Amino acid sequence: MAGAPSHLELFDNKPVLAKYDGSLPPAELIKDYRAAFINPNSTLMGPKFKFARYGQSGAELSELLPHLSTAVDDVAIVKSMVTTAFNHAPAQIMMSTGSQQFGKPSLGAWTLYGLGSESQNLPGFVVFSTGAKGPSGGSANWGSGFLPTVHQGVQLRTSGDPVLYLSNPPGVDDRLQRESLDVINALNRRQLDVMGDPEIATRINSFEMAYRMQASAPEAMNLADEPEHILKMYGAEPGKPSFANTCLLARRLVERGVRFVEIFHEAWDQHGYLVPDIKRNCEVTDQPSAALVKDLKQRGLLDETLVIWGGEFGRTPMVQGDPNDAGAGRDHHPNAFTMWLAGGGVKGGVTLGESDDFGFNVTRDAVNVRDLHATILHLLGFDHARLSFKFQGLEQRLTGVEPARVVHEILA
Amino acid sequence: MNACRLTVVSLLVAAAALGADRTALANDGAVDFNRDVRPILAANCLTCHGQDAAHREADLRLDRLESADDARGAEAVIIPADPPGSELIARITASDADQRMPPADSGKELTPAEIETLHRWVAQGGQYEQHWSFVAPQRPATPQVADAAWVRNPIDAFVLARLEREGLRPSPPASAQALARRLALDLTGLPPTVEELAAFEAAAASDPAAAYANEVERLLASPHFGERWARTWLDAARYADSDGFEKDKPRFVWMYRDWVINALNADMPYDQFIIEQVAGDLLSDATQDQRVATGFLRNSMINEEGGIDPEQFRMEAMFDRMDAIGKAVLGLTVQCGQCHSHKYDPLEQTDYYRMFAFLNNCDEAQMSAYTAAEHAEWAATRRLIARLEAELKASAPDWQARMAAWEQTEQLQPRSDAARSSSQGNPTSASNWTVVKPVLDASGGQKHYLLEDGSILAAGYAPTQHTTEFTVEVKSPARVAAVRLELLNDPNLPHGGPGRSVYGTCALTEFKVDAAPLDGSAKAEGVKIARATADVNPPGRPLDAIYDDRSGKPRVTGPIEYANDGNELTAWGIDMGPRRANTPHNAVFVLEKPLEVKGGLRLTFHLVQNHGGWNSDDNQNHNLGRFRFSVTDAENPVADPVPAAVRAILAIPPDRRTPEQADEVFGYWRTTVPEWAETNRRLEALWQSHPRGTTQLVLSERTTPRQTHRLERGDFLKPAEPASPGVPAFLHPLDEPKASAGPTGGAKGAVRPNRLDFARWLVDRRSPTTARAIVNRVWQAYFGAGLVTTPEDLGTQGALPTHPELLDWLAVELMDSGWSLKHIHRLIVGSATYQQSAAVTPELLARDPANELLARGPRFRVDAEAVRDIALAASGLLYRKLGGPSVYPPAPEFLFQPPTSYGPKTWNHNSGPDQYRRALYTFRYRSVPYPALESFDAPRGDVACVRRVRSNTPLQALTTLNEPLYVQCARELARRAIAEGGANDEARLAYAFRRCLSRPPSAEELAVLADFLARQKARFRDGGADPQPLIADGDAQAAVADDRAAAADLAAWTAVARIVLNLDETITKQ
Repeated sequence: MAGAPSHLELFDNKPVLAKYDGSLPPAELIKDYRAAFINPNSTLMGPKFKFARYGQSGAELSELLPHLSTAVDDVAIVKSMVTTAFNHAPAQIMMSTGSQQFGKPSLGAWTLYGLGSESQNLPGFVVFSTGAKGPSGGSANWGSGFLPTVHQGVQLRTSGDPVLYLSNPPGVDDRLQRESLDVINALNRRQLDVMGDPEIATRINSFEMAYRMQASAPEAMNLADEPEHILKMYGAEPGKPSFANTCLLARRLVERGVRFVEIFHEAWDQHGYLVPDIKRNCEVTDQPSAALVKDLKQRGLLDETLVIWGGEFGRTPMVQGDPNDAGAGRDHHPNAFTMWLAGGGVKGGVTLGESDDFGFNVTRDAVNVRDLHATILHLLGFDHARLSFKFQGLEQRLTGVEPARVVHEILA
Repeated sequence: MNACRLTVVSLLVAAAALGADRTALANDGAVDFNRDVRPILAANCLTCHGQDAAHREADLRLDRLESADDARGAEAVIIPADPPGSELIARITASDADQRMPPADSGKELTPAEIETLHRWVAQGGQYEQHWSFVAPQRPATPQVADAAWVRNPIDAFVLARLEREGLRPSPPASAQALARRLALDLTGLPPTVEELAAFEAAAASDPAAAYANEVERLLASPHFGERWARTWLDAARYADSDGFEKDKPRFVWMYRDWVINALNADMPYDQFIIEQVAGDLLSDATQDQRVATGFLRNSMINEEGGIDPEQFRMEAMFDRMDAIGKAVLGLTVQCGQCHSHKYDPLEQTDYYRMFAFLNNCDEAQMSAYTAAEHAEWAATRRLIARLEAELKASAPDWQARMAAWEQTEQLQPRSDAARSSSQGNPTSASNWTVVKPVLDASGGQKHYLLEDGSILAAGYAPTQHTTEFTVEVKSPARVAAVRLELLNDPNLPHGGPGRSVYGTCALTEFKVDAAPLDGSAKAEGVKIARATADVNPPGRPLDAIYDDRSGKPRVTGPIEYANDGNELTAWGIDMGPRRANTPHNAVFVLEKPLEVKGGLRLTFHLVQNHGGWNSDDNQNHNLGRFRFSVTDAENPVADPVPAAVRAILAIPPDRRTPEQADEVFGYWRTTVPEWAETNRRLEALWQSHPRGTTQLVLSERTTPRQTHRLERGDFLKPAEPASPGVPAFLHPLDEPKASAGPTGGAKGAVRPNRLDFARWLVDRRSPTTARAIVNRVWQAYFGAGLVTTPEDLGTQGALPTHPELLDWLAVELMDSGWSLKHIHRLIVGSATYQQSAAVTPELLARDPANELLARGPRFRVDAEAVRDIALAASGLLYRKLGGPSVYPPAPEFLFQPPTSYGPKTWNHNSGPDQYRRALYTFRYRSVPYPALESFDAPRGDVACVRRVRSNTPLQALTTLNEPLYVQCARELARRAIAEGGANDEARLAYAFRRCLSRPPSAEELAVLADFLARQKARFRDGGADPQPLIADGDAQAAVADDRAAAADLAAWTAVARIVLNLDETITKQ
């Protein structure tokens, strides 16, 4: 959810903030605080949407999330996320790689490095981008850093060739492609006999896998064979690129052995027009996000699939722009925000952590990005302190050298 | 959102298995501290007992023997030759878990073999040795070998000595054809042409040794040598053509890329190569090239997303520069020092910030730079200008007197009659203006800095259409009658400004002023501006295409009135043509009614800047860069028409001016002489032809040094104690700076060392790592792995050298040769080691899978750029032009549009020959890497990279099989095979094969290809497949014969060519 969704409109109900709407924030709150765009001493703006409690767990959600509210007992909500970056690109890179500095492997690359892929015909780490823009951090968000490049994410598209250069070139039909590969492989095999280099055998395998991918990727990406009720559940329409289609694709890919699917929906940077824009974002994303959890559950896949929802930071309780205008918005805010996780060993119906009355600072059970990563790795079966790769003289880890804790409170 | 699938998990923890056999003890049981002991201590002990005092436990450090001021050394826990009596041994063997080291909660555990090694080490005396790479290399003696006949140069002696020790024999030499291709790929990154190959084969038939030596010289002298080896250095220099981060805007540093190519082609001594890149701007009389060289440090990414603090990301860039120098020059990891003292190497955090202090005194300059052709063209124009001006002088013998008279009035003349009358005493124009400084806050998208002279520098995000507001408090003079806006140069702006556009220009849509009393007794109200004047008033003209805002409205720039006409479509522009646009300018706005200041006045200046383009994520801004506000009580002042540079010269007594300064004054004065209008018009036209040049990212030293501080945990908001420039104690000392040191030289007597001293220190002969680091990487490029397999880290945590003496020998050889890299290349390719066949037996493969012992020649897939270049060269499409701006070969358009890219990016696809340039010249966007290069492991330039990983993946297969340019190469190769290959299909097949692989096919290979060709011909001829799509050119010109059979043949040949281009051997050096 790139761009940073407002926790104050979605997850973190702040009646006190509503009460102080229009007044200046307490001086001690903004002492030494740096904001991206606004003067920190801007007036507070109350939450713009109503909250209620849902499910057996009674989790609190805003009216913008009617679909998630029906899956809330399978979801763990973490209201106490904190990060150290408050500009998009560095914060996204932080969320993706554990470091604000570029050049580190992404969570998906670490996962592939640790677990390998189950798919012989599809990339093990697949990335989609569905928002109005691409992610601020660019492809470094799914890079492999110092890990072997084979672990980096492969960007798929929902229209045209799903993978770059997947289709045969014009004039090459399947028979010619197959016959060409047979000759390439035959000549490479001869060369293997002469030179004895096992890398040649790997090359032959790569060409064969490429050929298989030419058939399997379009099949995996074809939503037309999904039944009507499933399409409806997500709000997906075959042939029309959307976040909904992509959520459904994520399920299909995971079913086919793809290890890690990441969807960037860069749309949440509501410096202005918070109310209409966040509403529209939720109309596009709420149903498919909830559908993914429910669909995985009804297929018995949720216990072995971890779903993570969140952005790179939160948003200020202070207003950006004219508070009395529809154009009002909120600035970047790293001190408190909300994410949710479901499946893969996560305890459903849990809400962890708390922020203060303004949703400004975390007051209980803070979870920083390292903690989140340690927890994700734990759910994948790793000890974050031991999943490492030696580079530049260090046993490098996703969670770096600072302490990180597995958030046991949200584990089943 | 992420969804990831778990499986039953078996933990794959990366173990340090690689070094396992290296840590095995020598047969005689003697423990070598560096080889055997240090790795154990480093991996298990030094995190808590290292030199990092902040994380040290028990006041004990095991990275050294003696105690230091701050802690006990290892001697406190070791009794030489008495393992049982040594606490170290007692603790690592303790049965009580509370006593045992390392502690259980560290997750670390010593193996019995490691305990045994430490035990034996203590028994043998428990001595420490300096880490190998921290001692400067000495030339080792060339070892004696049994098979002396195999040795061609000392490299071979070192390699063979090791092989003989291991009981291995070298492989036989590779064939002449194989060597020709290996050499060409290694030295130029391109396969030999068939003509070059034929010439070499003919020469080799009579005298193989001479032919080989000549071929080496020919290739070393080829301009493609610089291209190939530049690519390797550019990885380390993290070169890219865009800024990175969210905006990832195109940047201009290609002249740096060309500088590297030229330097390597000229075999610039490596020490000079480094000095110019780190401090070329500080050399005396630095040339444009030497300044461009400092682009090395400027290759850091730049974040201009909205809402950033530019200082934070300047610091990130500084960290990146330190990392790049560490990896690229020193071969050491210094990055840790950013936050804390190095855990393993003796690098203190203070050391890090002392080195940092050398680099921290720069402006992020964007100089104007010109190509050689532009320089020559302008020099010719300058001569013409000088001639015309000489003619003017000749036409008016009294010109000197007239100019002096003009100067007299100009000196005395303030900028308006009214101002003169209202001032008392000595009415110089400057004294009438009071600079007013706004109070800046950090809000808004574009950020601003207030400089000491009261000017404001814009930085960070550059919106293309916005209004910035600056509020000042005025207490004097008593009245404000006019406001002056000065536009000023700044090295941090493109072409030195004064604007932020790529040309350093700007446009002011409107200038508005609000006023309110300071005491708040009345609300702010707009103040009407009666009249505006400026030093430059260009004729009205439409905006350049780069500022198109897609509104379809006629937007223009022109005279200053445009900033005061209430019309948002018109703006004051300063672009008087290249170079003269990049000078200070000023505008004066006279208020309709002077404002009485009384108890103080609050003025707000609104700078409406709406004349940028539609895309704020691209280089389309047209903003003011550096500017300053002043007020005056003088009535009716006008803008000073005299250019600032001339105004400055006028302050110098005429007899003290240089001829250039005198010319400069004349150059302005002549424009005020009415009867010279005609010649002035011609001169103006000549000035308009000044080349635009390119802005290049370079360093320039600030005149006022920045104070560097150690930063707590690397946080720029937490400066600790000051750090003065210096170098780490464990490396060689810094020479006393020469008195002539650059502008940062401090007060008399105490010359402060500057960046140039640091650059010289980096390449000091006494440096223990500099020469080793570069020869190691050259070796890596030839053999696939360095003599130290961790080229980024020669420190204690890095791998030990496989051939330590050879590494030292090469390092000393480099320095003794006057740092000639070509000398090292010549030695390596001249060695028997290099010339071995790359074929490997299963036995040797099992014994030495990574070829560390070098019992065979190198064999590995070439780098990404060479993969592309081989296809272009083999097909004959390659356009061998050297240098110039980066190019845009075919790429899917969606890559550069949201939602794939953050913002819309420009990809001006070159349809001409530029699309066939070497991959080195492909435009490199950091956030959207060029796919055909990315899939073959080209680094994206985010950080310095001195070792590429080499993968072998299905995406690579899809690229070479299906990517349009590769298919085009196949088509072109097919055409050439048919046209040039010979009389029959066999000859043509052999020809196509040879173009790709530099060898003829074997009979068997030929049979396989001939069979395929025959089948495809038949199928295309029989209508089993349509030949047209395969042979139609990508650029839609169907250059296909009407002849159906010919079309079928070309399609079949294209299919064959595609096969040959896709062979493993084609993209492999062997």
